[in-house]
Amino acid sequence: MEPGFNAKSLALRFLPDLLAVVASFVAAGIFIAVMGFNVLDAYETILFTSFRSVNGFAQTLLKFVPLVLLAFAFTVPLAAGKFNIGGEGQMIVGAIGAAAAGIMLADLPMVILLPLVILAGVLFGAFWGAIPAWLLYQFGINEILTTVLMNFISFGLIDYVATEIWKDPFAGHPTTVPIGAGGELPLLLTSPPLHAGIIIALLVAVAVYIYTDRTSAGYELIATGANPRASRVYGINVRRMFLLSLILGGALAGLAGSIEVAGVHQRLIEGLQSNFLILGIIIGLIARGNNLAVPFVAFFIAVLEVGASAMQRTMMIPGEMVFIVEALILLFVLLSDVVRRR
Amino acid sequence: MNFELQLVDFAKLVMFAIVPYILAAQGTMLGGRTGLFNVAQEGIMLLGASLGFLGAYLTGSMWAGILLALLTGALFGLALAYFTTTLKMNQFVIGLALFFIGLGLSTLFPKIIIGVTLQPPLITTLKGVPIPVLSQIPIIGEIFFNQNWLVYFSILLSIFLYYFMYKTSYGLELRAVGENPKAADSLGVSVSTRRYLTAIVGGMLMALAGAYLPMAYTGTFTEGMVAGRGWIAIALTFFGGWTPHLILLGAFFFAGVEVLALKFQVGGSGVPYQFLLMLPYIATIIVMMFAFRLVRAPAFLGQNYDREKRSL
Repeated sequence: MEPGFNAKSLALRFLPDLLAVVASFVAAGIFIAVMGFNVLDAYETILFTSFRSVNGFAQTLLKFVPLVLLAFAFTVPLAAGKFNIGGEGQMIVGAIGAAAAGIMLADLPMVILLPLVILAGVLFGAFWGAIPAWLLYQFGINEILTTVLMNFISFGLIDYVATEIWKDPFAGHPTTVPIGAGGELPLLLTSPPLHAGIIIALLVAVAVYIYTDRTSAGYELIATGANPRASRVYGINVRRMFLLSLILGGALAGLAGSIEVAGVHQRLIEGLQSNFLILGIIIGLIARGNNLAVPFVAFFIAVLEVGASAMQRTMMIPGEMVFIVEALILLFVLLSDVVRRR
Repeated sequence: MNFELQLVDFAKLVMFAIVPYILAAQGTMLGGRTGLFNVAQEGIMLLGASLGFLGAYLTGSMWAGILLALLTGALFGLALAYFTTTLKMNQFVIGLALFFIGLGLSTLFPKIIIGVTLQPPLITTLKGVPIPVLSQIPIIGEIFFNQNWLVYFSILLSIFLYYFMYKTSYGLELRAVGENPKAADSLGVSVSTRRYLTAIVGGMLMALAGAYLPMAYTGTFTEGMVAGRGWIAIALTFFGGWTPHLILLGAFFFAGVEVLALKFQVGGSGVPYQFLLMLPYIATIIVMMFAFRLVRAPAFLGQNYDREKRSL
């Protein structure tokens, strides 16, 4: 704990963030009211759907898993000062890897197949992150650009895998045949279904925090981001840190892909990446890259997302409204930093 | 169709497809030359497409749509300049935030205003405006002088921007701000005024680039219809070395790849269409491998300028 820690200073520390959240809800509320909807009902649905039923809470945890992993896929490279906007592609390619392992080795028992499925996702994701990392290392190409372009390439790839290689002929939407039963993540709850991916996500959250904030290897990463020139003088291979950070980011997003395959769908489905990339970046930026804060912000965003779909179902308010709220929270949180600086 | 006709057809389509690349990349170039690196292209283009379509659909006038798109782009440019130049916030972070807001609003507005319809709502698309005499020249006339007015506009704009950036003192000042803001500032060139101006005009060009898609291509707005063109425009800007004339030349390449991929899909080349869809993005990455070695970007690209700071 920091010296002088007490409840009051904690409250003061989070006050600007809280104000930012309130301000974005007010701003979006005006918009919702103008559209002719009941603002209080809408916000009640958004905020409390997750806590009203076991199902709502399970839904929230299921959203939380990819969100927290995609957020880390952004914040870990960000620690080294690199922007990974390619979590979407890395997740998709990770999911392809997981599905490939699960389908080709379908007969293996669970003790072997499940770790293979997860590992394949991690490795494929890391590979997809390694391409922009290498382009940055070798040619100095701006990573924002290449990571994004790799997303678009992955869209074609997943479509090819789901419609040509392992196509499920009975599915209306591009989907592969199911993976072997041994590749499925065990369920913690059966009704509503809640898979064990949440445990993996929490372990990863702890590991990422320890790595970036408590080890010397992680310190090199952060030092690189904070001041590349000084880090180079102190003997850190800065370019290698950039490379490493982007590959790690890819691995984290790939893990999210394999968990979606092994836990949620038991197969590869086009579109499984949802909008997790953008929400992950929003989470990472709201947390200001602080890896201890990321899981908490991710949970909050998961609550909003589950509330958003409930609101769309029951009140016919477009779910995009909540996305605007999330983007506004990000903007206001960033603004609160400017105010604090002065 | 014989080979010659196919070639003319191909060239004509390329001319048609260069517009969004040119407009978005020139917009990026303008901001970048003053050191302001906008990365919200994709979001601004999506919102420009969405509101440009809605404006034209609701009023029945294309100009209303274009005006609405331009205003939106100007607003986003203004926001980018305010957050980065006045508040000194990180350019990439703000750019991403604006990208998200543009993306979200682009689907929200059509849902609220038009809702779900069985038939896609349509606007009349831009027509070819044949240029007298010139359009009568065989082959060349058909390719270059029988296009919609935004094709002519984007090419004339590029020529104008070249003249403006390299032959006028104001253009020189803009370039100085991006290369060495401290030196420019000490000579009485206001860094923030230049950055506000280029960000706003740049945003307008990006939104116009987006509005071109429903107005020239489809006649309607569909989610994600920009399909990475905003990001490719950044690549094009690097490829063109942040100079208007090379961006114009580079646009032919990027548009060419887009049309080629399309032609192969329609023509049935034997290659699975998914790989043809990847072609523009892969080509962009390969081109970047050379562009980043050969050309240079403005020295202060992506960095905020604080006149009270001692060191640059």
